[in-house]
Amino acid sequence: MIVRTGYFLRRALRNMRQSPVLSLASIGTVAVALALLAFFAIAVLNVQQLTASWGENLAIVAYLDDVPDKKVINSWAKEIESYPEVASVNYVSRKEAFERFRKRLGEDADLVEGLGPEVLPASLEIALADDWRNESALTAVVDRLRKDNRFDDLQYGQGWLEKLEAFLLLLRVSGSALGGFLVFAALVIVANTIKLTLYARQDELEAMTMVGGTSLFIKLPYLIEGALQGLLGGLAALGLSFLAFQVILQKSLGNLLLITGIDTIHFLPLIWQGLLIIGGGLIGLLGSLFALRKFVRFGAP
Amino acid sequence: MIQLFNVCKVYQRDQYALRDVTLKVEKGEFVYLTGPSGAGKSTLLKLLYCAERPSRGQILVNGRNITRFGSARIPYLRRNLGIIFQDFKLLHRRTIYENVAFPLEVQGRKRFEISKKVYQTLKNVGLEHRLKHYPLQLSGGEQQRVAVARALVVDPLILLADEPTGNLDPEVTMDIMGLFKSANARGTTILMATHDRSLMREFPRRTVSLHAGSLAMDDLPLFRGAAE
Repeated sequence: MIVRTGYFLRRALRNMRQSPVLSLASIGTVAVALALLAFFAIAVLNVQQLTASWGENLAIVAYLDDVPDKKVINSWAKEIESYPEVASVNYVSRKEAFERFRKRLGEDADLVEGLGPEVLPASLEIALADDWRNESALTAVVDRLRKDNRFDDLQYGQGWLEKLEAFLLLLRVSGSALGGFLVFAALVIVANTIKLTLYARQDELEAMTMVGGTSLFIKLPYLIEGALQGLLGGLAALGLSFLAFQVILQKSLGNLLLITGIDTIHFLPLIWQGLLIIGGGLIGLLGSLFALRKFVRFGAP
Repeated sequence: MIQLFNVCKVYQRDQYALRDVTLKVEKGEFVYLTGPSGAGKSTLLKLLYCAERPSRGQILVNGRNITRFGSARIPYLRRNLGIIFQDFKLLHRRTIYENVAFPLEVQGRKRFEISKKVYQTLKNVGLEHRLKHYPLQLSGGEQQRVAVARALVVDPLILLADEPTGNLDPEVTMDIMGLFKSANARGTTILMATHDRSLMREFPRRTVSLHAGSLAMDDLPLFRGAAE
């Protein structure tokens, strides 16, 4: 069997060497199709990362007009922390709030010159736990705090959160649909390119069936060839998308997302890079399989 | 070796390529299949190597009924056959050696056995010095000798030849016929489609004539002595 595997591999490599133009056409098609998919994946992953980071900042701020004793504040914080939806409660004193405000003003800090910390209210910053960063959890916590007369001035981004969740859903659905469409398109294009290469070898395939070659024996070298071309195409797609990432995507996507507070644009994670190459191999293999069905026939049905 | 019972082949409604053909070819026989173009010669050969299926009737090859052979069994039938075409059907991207070796490779023969057998067969057809060449570097006659070598390398039970000398000049035709005669002398049954009357006169053998798909004549050679 090992000897036979070597035979089929040698044949596949030789087929590729003997038809360099056809091989390059197949590799190029896989590369372009998968590079498009990779660009799209880079954009979706980065936007997803951005929206995830927005979710992390989700918090409820309960302003305290009259600041009670430190002990009382600590007991309130502990009480709120006991809610299952809440991850942590952070007390921000008037002084800390004023300092933050001054820092945020930067060069315009002199605007608050002469003012004291008493102009700003103290607050409790309530952060939600990872699993509860959604609209219903936020509403539940806010309702519970509202019922309590201690906290009547609550600030939270409910309307904004609704929009964020809708946007995330849209991104997920459209991402999956477009990604699926791109993979399907890549498969069809690759299958058709391989079909064209097989047209050129139609006589050869027919001659093989005439001397007793079984379907598998005839098809295997072409399947291996398709898979190899797909793997090379996947590798080229990775190279292409990395190049495009370095030259164009990183800058343009970076500029676009910078407004929203993200300063680093990431390339595809390692596992996605591996998937891109393996996916190329699979597309090549399936493309060959579909194309060969039509060409290796032993006689009239 | 070959038996056809009331075989019909209809391609389109009421258009018979073969009509009620019953034929028996014994082991070791050399039979010419003749008739005008469109008489059904190629169709009959195609039925024997399962490129077509009969519309009616039964076909037995080497004692096995091949009438309803599925795709998976056809390759194994063809390993016992040598098939030769007018247009050679060689693998143009493979060397002469590789072309002749291919039928042995599909049978999973050992490499040293293949090289020995291929060299011997190419020597028999006088092309052992051309084994590293590619088919298109050879003349038409030489390409047909490669096709004959490819058919004979597996020591087939039956050799089916469809107008094998149709494109060749008389001298090369004699060479090819010489190769067929040797194979036949070694026990291979030969069924050869041709409409070359001079060839049939030169090498008289049993002749089966087809006309418009029907069996028109089945003659033994007039001069038996000449057939020997």
